[in-house]
Amino acid sequence: MGTYVVTGGSSGIGAAAVELLKSDGHEVINVDLRGGDICANLATQEGRDTAIEGIVEKCPDGIDGIICNAGVSGNCGNLELVISLNYFGTVKLARGLFDLLQKKNGSVVVTVSNTISQGTGRMDIVDLLNNVGDEQRICNIVKTMDATNQTVGQSIYMATKYALARWVRRISTAWAARGVRVNAVAPGNVRTAMTDSLSDAAKFAVSALPIPVRYGSDALMDPEEIAESMRFLLSKRARGINGIILFTDGGTDALLNSEKVY
Amino acid sequence: MKAIEKYVEALKNCDNKALSMCFAEDGTLRDYCPNATGRQEYHVYGREAIDMFFKNKFTFRQYLISEAEIVNDEQAEFIASIGGYYVMCIATVRRVDENGLITRLTVRPK
Repeated sequence: MGTYVVTGGSSGIGAAAVELLKSDGHEVINVDLRGGDICANLATQEGRDTAIEGIVEKCPDGIDGIICNAGVSGNCGNLELVISLNYFGTVKLARGLFDLLQKKNGSVVVTVSNTISQGTGRMDIVDLLNNVGDEQRICNIVKTMDATNQTVGQSIYMATKYALARWVRRISTAWAARGVRVNAVAPGNVRTAMTDSLSDAAKFAVSALPIPVRYGSDALMDPEEIAESMRFLLSKRARGINGIILFTDGGTDALLNSEKVY
Repeated sequence: MKAIEKYVEALKNCDNKALSMCFAEDGTLRDYCPNATGRQEYHVYGREAIDMFFKNKFTFRQYLISEAEIVNDEQAEFIASIGGYYVMCIATVRRVDENGLITRLTVRPK
């Protein structure tokens, strides 16, 4: 049995992933702001350092995989938090755990989002995230934007998720050559605390990203459906899969981007 | 009302449900106008997909039409705003079934 780390494992998709991995008999370390085996704020470098130190202490012989899942919605009212947690909370944590992952030929699964299918994210912010990577400077830029405007919030959220997906594509080849596979899961709209807490306007926007397998109902994807994809990508059965964005969205991306075949 | 008229009316009203009902169950919509805006064209297969696809486009105001004009029994012209870019389009009903529902429709830049 393996040892896995899940960030944001106290609720939603992360909690479903923790449960699935535990049901397989694995040891799972949940890193979350509250209720985790390691409590840390991944939106800060201090929190990331705390998480890395805690995981090293618990797993000196290495880890078999990590699910980088912690994130907030674009409607949280704090665009710096969206940048720092969604993007840097994943990238910097994964980098910090690389040595532990390499010890066991581990696997990284990153949670992105099928909102990237919509194509309305701020690509300038995506480029700053992927190509500059200066957290403080990018936070200073988004701080000047209107965090109360849901369109702005959503565009920054999409930017962080698009940048994560591109980071996965870019980093996956070299990391795979060193024994660590990196993939992403792009969930559709999922029934979680995050989606439950959305405003009516935001819920309306969510409903406009239709889920073909749920056609005719307002039902969203279940967290367990996403967690199943994560479990697969972490497993040895997915040993030939690296650098992919696995849309687990019931067909939304195919609906909106039928011509995009890879 | 002819199929092309119903199609244009539904587009003008941003009514995805009415739009989908213009099509036969396996009807297809092929719209090449997004190419003119640097996007990939739309190929939407099946009534349910047309409903869902345009729900998304209308909600996010990614496909709006104006200046619509019925040209003949099979064709209509309009200016489409696709993601904020304007394209002069001509829509052609290529085939209808025995119930007058569209089985194939193409939209091309004019």
